[in-house]
Parts: sequence; C-alpha cells; structure tokens
Amino acid sequence: MDFGSFLAAPEIKVKIVTYRDIFQNKAMIEDRFGEEYKNTSALIKMDSADLKQMSVKKGDTVIVKNSFGNIVVKVEESGYETPHKGIAYMPNSPWSNMLVSDETNGTGVPKFKDIEATVTSAKGAKVTDLEF
Amino acid sequence: MTSTMELYQLLPKTNCKECGKNSCMAFAAALMARELTPDDCPPMKNDPKYKENYETVSGMFSTTEGATETGLIVHEELCFGCGNCVVACPVNVANDPYGVGSGKAPKSTGKLILIIEDGIVKAQNVDECRRFGKNKILCTGCIVTCPVEAIEFV
Amino acid sequence: MEGNYYVCTGCGLLCDDIEVELEKDAVSKVYTACRVGVAHMKEGSREAVSQVDGKPAEEAAAIEKAAEILKNAKNPLIFGLGTSTNEAQKKAIELAKKLNATLDDTSSFCLGPVVEALLQEKFNTCTLDDVRHKGDVMIFWGADPSDSHPRHLSKFSYFPRGEQKQRGWEEERTAIAIDIRKSHTAKICGSNFFQIPPGGDTEFINALIDGVSGKLPKTSYKFPPKRLLELANILKGAKFGTIFMGLGLLYSLESLDPIIKLVEVLNEKAKGEFHLIPVVGHYNMRGFNENLFAETGYVNCVKFENGEAKHGPEYSTVEALKAKAVDAALIIGSDPLASLPRSIVKNLLDIPIISIDPCETLTSRKAKVYFSTAVTGVECGGSATRMDGVEVKFDPILEAKRPTDEEILTKIMEAL
Repeated sequence: MDFGSFLAAPEIKVKIVTYRDIFQNKAMIEDRFGEEYKNTSALIKMDSADLKQMSVKKGDTVIVKNSFGNIVVKVEESGYETPHKGIAYMPNSPWSNMLVSDETNGTGVPKFKDIEATVTSAKGAKVTDLEF
Repeated sequence: MTSTMELYQLLPKTNCKECGKNSCMAFAAALMARELTPDDCPPMKNDPKYKENYETVSGMFSTTEGATETGLIVHEELCFGCGNCVVACPVNVANDPYGVGSGKAPKSTGKLILIIEDGIVKAQNVDECRRFGKNKILCTGCIVTCPVEAIEFV
Repeated sequence: MEGNYYVCTGCGLLCDDIEVELEKDAVSKVYTACRVGVAHMKEGSREAVSQVDGKPAEEAAAIEKAAEILKNAKNPLIFGLGTSTNEAQKKAIELAKKLNATLDDTSSFCLGPVVEALLQEKFNTCTLDDVRHKGDVMIFWGADPSDSHPRHLSKFSYFPRGEQKQRGWEEERTAIAIDIRKSHTAKICGSNFFQIPPGGDTEFINALIDGVSGKLPKTSYKFPPKRLLELANILKGAKFGTIFMGLGLLYSLESLDPIIKLVEVLNEKAKGEFHLIPVVGHYNMRGFNENLFAETGYVNCVKFENGEAKHGPEYSTVEALKAKAVDAALIIGSDPLASLPRSIVKNLLDIPIISIDPCETLTSRKAKVYFSTAVTGVECGGSATRMDGVEVKFDPILEAKRPTDEEILTKIMEAL
C-alpha cells in the first residue's frame, strides 16, 4: 500500500530571492513571448535537501504560491556550495512578479527580492503561461 | 585530465621507437602536448593485445575534438561574451596594450589569441598561447577570469 | 583595425567600441559586444506594427487616438523612459508639464534613491574611467555585473590596464563581492567573496565601520570577526576604492544613511579616497534622473500642476497605480505588466494605455494605442548618460524605417 498517497504533499515554506541572469536577459530581448525566455525565467532554484523533502527531481514542475499568486515553474538545484534550506532563488521575471506582495508601506518600492511562498510538487502540471 | 604517468601505464612500454620518439615515456609526453595522436603508435593501434588500451587512450583524446592545438576548448554555450579573458590574456595585452589590454575593442592587427565575435569568445593564433611551444608555462589568465568556466584546457 | 565604432545601448555601460557588419539592412555580425549587446543590436531591426485597439493603424490615426486619451484624462501617468535618449526624455518632461501629468521612471523602484543622493552630493563618486585608470579596490555589493553589465569588469573595473594601473589586475587590483549568494561576479572575486544572510547588509556595514575604526566588528549572524577585519584592512589600504552598489544592497537597506556613512568613514580612514557608483541597469536611467533633476530638483516621482512639480512617493508609479490615482498611462520603452508585481500592476488594466516601444510586450498587447518605434542606438541616434554620469553620443547603425519615440512624443504634443 502506498502510504504516500494518503499524506498531504509535503509543502515547503521558502523565502525567495530574485536575481538577474544574462541568458534570461538575452532571451527576453530576442523574444519575450518565446520558449527560451520561459525556460530561463519560469524556474526556481532550491537547496537539494528541499527538493528531496518534496520528493521532486531537478526539472520537475512545482507549484509556488502565496496570497498574491499561484504559479507552476520548473525546479532546479541551486548548485551553491553553502546549504540554504528554506531560501530559494528565482530569476526576476513576470513569473516571480506574480508572487510579489502589494505591500509597500507607501514607499513606492515593492519587495521584489523578498518573497515568502510555499512550494509543493506540481505532479507534472505544465509551467504557467505568460499572459495577462 | 590524466597525467603523463597514467598515460604511460596504458602504453606498450616496449620503447620500440616506431613513433619516432625515443621511449614510450616520451611518446606519452608528446601525446599530452598534442604533438602526436594515439594512432602514431603502430603497435598499440594494430596489435590486438593492446586493443583495450588503445581504445581507452583514444577515448581520452577524442573528447578534445574541436580543441585547438594548445588543448584550448571554448564552451560557446556557456560564454557570456564579457571579454574578461580577452582583456586578461597576457599575450593579448602584450600585442595590443591600448586596445584589448585597456579593455577596449582590438586596436592593432597584432596576434590576438582571444577576441569576442557575436557575443562569444573565439580562439585564434593559438600558437601564440603561453601554453604552447617549447617554453610553455601553465598560464591560467583566461580560466580564472571566466565567470562560468567557458574556457578549458584539456 | 581602428574601426568605425558604434555604441551599444543594451545596458547602463554604453560600450562605445562596438564594430558591426551589415547584410541586407540588418546587423549580421557584432564584434566586442557581450551576448546581451549582440542580441540587442541584432534584434533591433525586428519589425512590429503600430496599432489602435489591437488592429494595425496608420500613424496619424494612432496619434489622434493617443491625444484624445490624454486630453480626456484628469491625471495621466507618463512612465518608462529608461531606454530613451536624453532628447526624448526632455520631450516627455515637457509633455508631462503640459498635461499636468504624473511622471516617473523605473528608477523609483530601482536605484533612483542612490542617484538622487549622488546628485545631491551626499557621497563621493567618480567615473568608470577613473576606476580603470586608478582603482585598486573595488567592491561589488548586492550587484552582479557579470550578468547585468557583462563588460563591467573587463572594460572598466577589474581587468583592464589604465594610466596608473600598468601591471595588471593580479598585482594591482583587489575585487571584492558582498552578496547573499555566490553570483558569477562573486565567483571571480574568489576568496574575497563575503557571503551574508538576506537582509544582513545594514549590520555588515556597521560592523565594517567598526572594523576600520579599530573596534571589534560584530553581527547578530556571527559573521567571523577575523574575516571582517581582513576586509576592513583591505579597504583601509586602498588608494582609490569604489563601491559598486546594486539593487541587492539597496533593497536590503531601510535608509541610505549607513552606506553613505561607510563611504565617509572610509574616506577618513583609508589611505586614499573612496567612491560609490550605482550600478544602473537601463542605458539611460541615470539620464532621466539627471534631466528631471535639472528641471525640477527631483529625480523621479513627480506630479506637475500648472508648471510646478510636486514630489513624493505617492507620485511613484507603484503608489499611483495602487491608489488608482491615475486615469490613463503613456508608457515609453517599458513593460510594467511584466516588470511590476501583478498584485499592483493589474490596476493598469482599468485605464487606457498608450505604449511606445520597439517591440511587442505584455503592456503593448493590452494598450489602446501602440506605437512601434526605432531602437535607439540601432535605428536612431542621440545622447545618453552612462551609469557614472558621463554623457555618450551615438549614431544609428541602420537607416530607420520606424519613427523614434521622440518624434511620436512631439507629434502627440502637437495634436493635443
């Protein structure tokens, strides 16, 4: 009997930091509606221990959500030598922006690089399309 | 990458001189320096008893397809085109101090080893590379300055 | 090989030494530019068609529609302009005045506050050429120019020879990265990479100030004091030091005071002088800040009323959209539907949008009126201000088939 199927999918709380990536930037210039931009943008990089806990592998899709949005992106191992369980990285993109809080304390500056969200396996669901 | 010694262990060790070198050790060194190829050792190539070793040694060097004579390989898909290697290469600096040596576009038609073409580093004039020739040294100027290990010597 | 050089407008570095080859009215080969620059220069010739209500339209009809939208608006927002020439930016400021509009650029949620403090002379700064000629210690803090400004290190800040730096980077320069992750720039800095936890920058700054002042540097996250002192010693020994400040550092600070204080203290305690340069992204964001500053005394977030500029965060694009304070938007060379939080920018869909952009974007797709304009630096020339304040003039590479954003702004103004 597969006990796993009775358990809620393991959910991980993460703090997401966004960053810029040269290949993503290049892909945006070439075609912001293209596959390459989607492949280089709609992804989250996590600690390998977090991947293990969620029972997902590199290249699988995950649901990243909070009260502002809900997206499906590809998951990767960060490859950083220093462990960073609970901290995830996403390229700054329309996908990460779907999760950014509207709370700015009147400063005019959203917290682009400081996103709180939960991550679970998307069980093969497709990456969220770029549309409005 | 393997050492000359490891490579020597795989050779016939008969010092037959058919390759033109005085010993199998010298042949191993010539292989490492890319002066000769595994096919330049007739016994290893033709004698069935060396078949396995011949395949192993050939395999070691087949990965270097696309490599230049100095063993320099550019992993184009990784390259940012940032030009760090172009500017840091001591030969480039010596041949074009006010162009690439100063961070700018090439100014002299002197022998530059690395240039950026269509956003990707291109190796040329590799015989000028400090890793090449008689007085070669293990220069790492283009390797340590690369953000993504796009340049490799094999 | 002294060539015919062009300027790359792909980022705030404005590299001025780019050679190109042309084939059939398009850029076919690019020399010396980075991967992003090449994409920028080659894609420049891609065509898009001007539209009204999602259908291809003649320019005159689009101008008329745009003017009508702006005339009917009580408080239009003019936004973008980071990828426009100084000339187009000045035209947009004029238009904002005429319309009593809210005017802002991306700097209000990027490095605008740093450029503002710089123009108010709150800290010591220098040019990138100064760094090339003299710089011996450079700190990349919350910045990853290897990805965002790929030639930063090779053209100016680390590897090139300069007037007083003839012996090469290994001997004469020290590059330091302070970041929360090992970025590509941090990788190049090797053992001079200092990894701090997210949000740990203010404490790190204060600890560094203690370190260079001879006190024991302490952080709540227990950063090894020995390493902090090592860093403090490198900084103290600098003859010409520069902090390159990125968004990572800015977003982590509650106010700019600590970093300004650090530059001050370093100027007191170090052998030589210390400087700060914001690592500005878009090729002419600093230009917009300077142009608006010259006109109003503010770098962004203004609302014009009868020729006078009111200023405050409530006039930032983000707050104006959040509060639904604006009733039409003229967006030039920017894609806020992609680059702003969806939780905020969704309000943009409730008001008519006019988009002026060389390429189709999420924003242009939702626009009432879209103008397909020339890529500056590729299809049209002009001038821009580099991230360090140096003005760079440039010529077009190709003959323009499309109007410039400056021309469209002029025509809209005439039609009002």
